[in-house]
Parts: sequence; C-alpha cells; structure tokens
Amino acid sequence: MQPAVETQSLTRVFRPKRKKEGSIVTALDSVDLRINKGELFGVLGPNGAGKTTLLKILSTLLLPTSGKAYVAGFDVEKDLLDVRKRINMVSGGEISGYGLLTVRENLWMFSQFYGIKSKEANARIEELLGRFGLTEKAKEKVRTLSTGQRQKMNVIRGFVTNPEIVFLDEPTLGLDVNAARAVRDFIVDWIRSDRSRTVLLTTHYMMEADELCDRIAIIDDGKILACDTPSNLKRMVKMNTTLTLSVAGLNEIAGFDTIQGLNSYSQTKDVESSTTKLRFVLEDESCVSDIVSKVVAEGSKIMSLQKTEPTLEDVFIKLVGRGLE
Amino acid sequence: MAVMNDLKVFKDSAWLGWQMEANWTDPFLFLTYSIVKPIAGTLILVLMYMVVTGGETGNAFFSYMYVGNAMYMFVAEVLFGVTWVIHDDREHYMTLKQVYIAPMNFYMYIMGRSAIKIAITSFGVLVTLIFGVMALGVDIDLAAVDWPLLAASLVLGLACICILGLALGGVSFLTAKHSIGINEGLAGVFYVLSGVVFPITILPTWAQSVSRILPVTYWMEAIRRAIEPGAMRELADTSGFDVTGMGGISDLTMMLYLLVSVGAFFVMSIGVFRVADYIARKKGKVDWTTAY
Amino acid sequence: MTDSYLMRNLRAVRGRAYPRLIGSTREPSWFVFDVILPLFTIAGYAYVYKFLDARAELIGYVVLGGAMTAFWLNILWSMASQLYWEKEIGNLPLYLMAPISRMSILAGMAVGGLFETTIQAAMTLAIGAIAFNVVFSLASPVMLLVVFVVTMIALYGMGMMFASLYLLLGREAYHLSALMMEPVYFASGFYFPVRHLGFWAAAGASVIPITLGLDALRQIIFPEGIAEDAFLPLNTEIALLSGLCVVFMVLSRYALRYMEYLGKTTGRLTLRWQ
Repeated sequence: MQPAVETQSLTRVFRPKRKKEGSIVTALDSVDLRINKGELFGVLGPNGAGKTTLLKILSTLLLPTSGKAYVAGFDVEKDLLDVRKRINMVSGGEISGYGLLTVRENLWMFSQFYGIKSKEANARIEELLGRFGLTEKAKEKVRTLSTGQRQKMNVIRGFVTNPEIVFLDEPTLGLDVNAARAVRDFIVDWIRSDRSRTVLLTTHYMMEADELCDRIAIIDDGKILACDTPSNLKRMVKMNTTLTLSVAGLNEIAGFDTIQGLNSYSQTKDVESSTTKLRFVLEDESCVSDIVSKVVAEGSKIMSLQKTEPTLEDVFIKLVGRGLE
Repeated sequence: MAVMNDLKVFKDSAWLGWQMEANWTDPFLFLTYSIVKPIAGTLILVLMYMVVTGGETGNAFFSYMYVGNAMYMFVAEVLFGVTWVIHDDREHYMTLKQVYIAPMNFYMYIMGRSAIKIAITSFGVLVTLIFGVMALGVDIDLAAVDWPLLAASLVLGLACICILGLALGGVSFLTAKHSIGINEGLAGVFYVLSGVVFPITILPTWAQSVSRILPVTYWMEAIRRAIEPGAMRELADTSGFDVTGMGGISDLTMMLYLLVSVGAFFVMSIGVFRVADYIARKKGKVDWTTAY
Repeated sequence: MTDSYLMRNLRAVRGRAYPRLIGSTREPSWFVFDVILPLFTIAGYAYVYKFLDARAELIGYVVLGGAMTAFWLNILWSMASQLYWEKEIGNLPLYLMAPISRMSILAGMAVGGLFETTIQAAMTLAIGAIAFNVVFSLASPVMLLVVFVVTMIALYGMGMMFASLYLLLGREAYHLSALMMEPVYFASGFYFPVRHLGFWAAAGASVIPITLGLDALRQIIFPEGIAEDAFLPLNTEIALLSGLCVVFMVLSRYALRYMEYLGKTTGRLTLRWQ
C-alpha cells in the first residue's frame, strides 16, 4: 500500500545570512519515515528537535536541502498542487484569520482557498462548530475568543477542508485540560471514522503522544532515534516495574522471599504516620496478587498502592541521555 | 537617587529607541532614508511654488513657506513619535505590558524613546534648511539669526509638542489602532491652521480665530522671526499689510504665550495620562492588541 | 473539491477580498481617518496655491491628487507590505499551503482594496471639491472610466509585484513603504502637474502608473489646463498605461514565484523574527 507520508534521507540545513548571525543548524538529518494511511503518527521531541521543520517541508512551505519527501505519493518539491489539495495544517498558538471577521466568516474565508462551495463549507463549519461547542461564538469576532476557543477554531479551520492528511504541530500547546481534551478527542474520532485519513502529530507532551498515537518517532537534533508503537518503545527500556505499598499495622517484614517473580524488596518506616512504605521490584508483574495477599495475611491494612511502569520519557532518556522538557 | 534612576531609564530607553529606529539597516542607508523623506516632502512645495511663479524661488514668501515646512517636521514627527512608542510596543513588539509593570518612571521611558525621534528629526530639519539655502536661495543669514530667540523658541516649542504628544500617548492607551490617526489629524490641524506654509490671513475669519489659540501658530512665527528676520521684513513690506496676522505681537509676548502653553499642556497631559492609565487598567486595555 | 482549478481560484479571490469589502462596514471610523485626514494636506496645499493667486485648475489638481493618494497608500500599506503583515500574524503559511495560485490571494487583496479605496477617494474628492469650489468637466465619462480602470489595473499590478518583493522583508518593509510616500507624491506630481518636473524626470516617474494616470485624469476633467500642464497626449498615456498593466502583471507573477522559491530555500518564508 502506498504510504501517506514517506521521507528518504530528508535533510534540512539552515545557514545564517552572515556568520555573525549564528552558526549552521542541521534541523533534519537524513530522516527516513514511512507513515501509513489511517495512522495517527506522532513525532515526539524537545523544542528545536526538528519537528516543525519536518512539517513545513511536508506541507510545501520549506524546501529540503537534500533527500526526498512524498505526501500521498506526490513529491513535495515538484507536485505542489497535488500535495496541497490533500493536506492541511494546524499549529498550536496559531493566531490566523482577521480580527474584524467573525468566527464563521474566518472559517468560510479559509475554506474558499480550497475551492469549497459556500453551501458545503457553511454546512461543515456549522457541524464542526457544534462539535467543539462553539456554535454560540459563530457570530462573534475572532478577537473576542479565549485562547482555547481560538485554538478550537484553528482546528476547525484545518479540518473543514476535509483533507486526507492533516499535519498537527503541537495542537494543544498552551491549552487547559478541557480544551486539550476536546481537541484530542476530536482528532481520534476524526481518524477512526475513516481509515483513509492520516494524521501526523508533533508534540513534546509525552502523555499526548502515548495516548493518541499508533506509532511514534522520537526525534532529537534532527535525527530519528526510534520509531515504533508506544508499547514497543517502552519495552526498549530495560526497567523493571516497581510496586510501592503504604501499609499500616505491619510488625515484621518477612516471608516475601518465597514469592515467585519478585526481584527484591525494601521497607521504610514513617514514624509520624505510623505507616510502612514497602517497595517491591518485580521481574514478573503476575506476582502482584501474591504480594498483596501476603501483606493482608500479615494483618496489615493497605493504605495505598502504586505501580510504576516505564514511560516514554524513560525511553527518551535512554535514547538521548536527558529528559524531554 | 530617584533622579539618577530616571536618568538611567531615559538613557536606556533612548538607546532602545535608536535600535528600533535604525538597526533594521546599515547606517548609510538609514542616513539616506532620514534625508530623502523630508527633502522629497519639501520639494513638493518647491515645485508647486515654481509652477505658479515660473521657476522663481528667490523671494520672501518662498523662504517663509520653506522654513515653515521644514520646522513643521518637528510637529509631525514628535507628535507621531511619542504616541508611536505606545502603539509600537503594544501592537507590534507586544512588550508594552512588560515595560508597564517594570518599577520605573514610565514618562521617562517614553521621553527617552521620543528623544531619539527628536534627534533624527533635527537632522532632517537641518539638512532640509541647508539644502534650501544652498540650492534654492532660502533667505537665512547666520549673522542675522536671532540666536537667543531661536534657542528659547526651540526649547519651549519642542517641550510644548512633546508634552502634547504625551497626552495623546495616554489617549492611545484607550484608542488602540486609531491612535496614529488621531495624531495625524491633530498634526493636520496644525498644518492648516498654524501658518506653516501660508500666512493665516488667507484663511476664513473663523479659522483665523482658531489659529490664534494654537501654540504652534506662535511657535512658527517666533522661529521665523529668529531664523529669517530679513525675509519676514520683506514679506511685510511687499504685502503692504500685516500679512502673517502676528505683526502686532512682540517676541516677548510670544515667548510668554509659549511658556504658558507648556505649563497648561503639562498639567493637562499629566491629568489625561493618569485618567487614561486608570481607565486602561480598569478596562484591561494596557496589553490590548487590535489584531490589525 | 471536484471543481476546476479556475473555480477554486475565483473562490479564493472572493474569499480574500471579503475581509476588505466587509471591513469598511465593520469599522466606520475609517471615514474619519481615511477620508478626513487627506483633506488636511489638500487644504494646506490648496491654500498655498490660493495665497499665490494660482490658476483655478491647480487647486483642482491638488484636490484630485490628494484624493488619489488613497490609492497609493493602499498600494504601499495594504498591498506591498500586506504579505509581510500576513506573515507576522500567521496567515501567510496558510495561504501558501492552499491549493491555489498565489496570484489569487494577491488579486483578492487588490479587488477588495480597490473597492474600499475607491469609496474613500471619491468621498475625499467630493468634500475637497465642495470646500474649494473645484469644477470638474465630465464631458468624456467613458474616457474617464477607461483611464481610471487602466490606471488601477496597472497600479494594483505594481502593488502585487511589490507584495512579492516584500515577502522576505522584516521590519524594513515598514520603512520601505514609509520611504515611498513623499518621494512618490513628488515624483508622480500628486500636487502639481508632472510635466513641470521636466520631460525626462516625468518620463522616469511614469514607471509608477499613477503618474500617467493622474495626468490623464487631469486632462479629462480639467481640459483648460491641457495646454500648459499635460505631459503627453491622452491617447499615448492610455497606451502606455495599458502596456504597464501587462508588464506589472507578468512581473508580479515572476516575482512571486521567485521570492517564494527563495523563501522556501532560505526558510524565511514563515519565519517571524521581529
């Protein structure tokens, strides 16, 4: 099957006009990616990793220094119109449109650049405004919108043209929990409702990438360091799961050595709260029930229980040697 | 200590103003830019004059018109410049809120930024006057210039315009994108009614009454008397009547009027600025952008 | 999305023209600032002519020239520097990413700008004419319309070319536009007949379409001044303006293509750095 997006040794180098204005920056360094139709693909990396540069090249706004990039099978350098007919892009913190136009008028205006008939465009706009709870704001000028409402409008702008492939550049940047949730839910619903659709999402929010994406590419300094499903990526980290229990009424810790799958354990007494914190390092997660049964059998009361698994941040640290933020 | 702080704010904001005005290009291009605009603006009047007189420029009215037009640059540029500080910081650089909440004298900040505008304008005025004398025979004799009158009128006039600009700067907190238009409007009123390029006596009587209460009218007259006393005498002689409409007013009276205007505008501008500042904070307009 | 490329572009023109068409009804304050402000300059220059006891048609020239400044200002601030502003406010990448010709965006800006500016200029002209008792000759309305249309096509073609050339500019865009105000008012003879600049200077200034356009309009509505003030015969000016229409349309297309390529190569097309 033809991939939705494909890059081959994609490289982009930025050279300053004058030497004193800075040094040469390699924003993308031989990037090879293959994103399938129907995929919600994430590119995870810190600020300055090359995420936005990648999207700019794919959306025909920037030329690569070397290498090739194809969107829906079309060359982003040569087949501009064919690429553009099939894509749209939404960026976080975007303030597009004109302040003196209303929300509906701004959305209609952008739809006209894609040649959508007004009647059809207006129907889609109404539907999407309703989906995002912005119907009441339709007649208000854009300048009156809050940050969250504005970004919802931007998302609608990106989807109202019914693109095959959508590039989302940090779409939830600066949004509160509810607004971010609304945007994420919409993205998932949109792609799941038609398997010919594709989303390429860049983010530096690990949870967002983990939650939304079918596959994730981890990028740093312009290089793709790893590319797989979130669960496979996490398996790359040779980190054991840990189980931490806070228990009351525990007199003596003994007899855990016999539990199969337990690597090691330790305890810390908290005199102030009269509780004991038990930390178990697991080799096999199936031993959790044995541990809990044993603690309860000792006559202790479990106050809290926490299981810790590797995160994408752990993956990133393993690959890059530093945190994501 | 407070004075030292204010001076530092003035100096630093003047430096910032210079960077914002000039660092978009190299110094030579900036110099050219600073000269071409005023010279071209002046040449429009020169050509208009020559179309009527068939090329003649060596008479008193030409000098009257030329000097007035050159000095008017101060009015237009300084009025515009002071308000532009607030407009530019808020709308384009979006730094007004950071400046506003900084523990410093905000007036000094604006004055520092505007000082650079005055310096650049002074350069343009000077070049225009030199061009007029050298190329077009504008009647300015350095030996005949009344230097004390020139110095006094320059100081008082510029102070008056700056303070007026400050009041408009306050208003621009509330008017957002129209602030520049308001300034240009006021500068336009001065251009037509203050005897800048023609004597006010050509205006309808009602307009002349308005002219006589505008400080710029007196400033223009005072500057001309100081810079081109010969041309002013000749204009009066050839016209055969009080053509400027200011003949009966002594230099001292004019200076006094300018001094009173400075005081009145000072009180007014502080008042306007404070009220505008209060309303802006009340309505949340300090960091308002209009998405132009 | 099944419509032809032409239909898509026509819709894009309409879409981009819309904010400008609707803008004047949304913010009526434009009347004060865009109609009244030019009247101060007109009044200033008209009184200079009056004081000099000049021919009546010279005052008419000032009123017409003052009204026509609206078009030049629109070219500088709403055409030439518009793509720069669009870049600053984040619209430019969205325009460039759309499956249309960039010329449609520029054409939309031009159509909308021309419409709103024509209204402004007409109002300034009317008020100026009443204030200074200017008498227009409307003996050749068709010719008047032809000259106006040809001038505007050439002028907005030039504006579209400027818009492309400004595309990669930063803060200097503002200064460049500011620099092209007074010098062009002078060179194009907005307030005096351009013929008095001398033949070669006037010929050089004729690269700016409004120079010939203004001269031609003056010949039509102030025929009493033709003998003394006309630069070239009216038909010659119309022919030259028609040539400028073609030249600027072609140049703007090439300029846009070249600047877009340059911008995509250097990465400055979507970069905001002010």
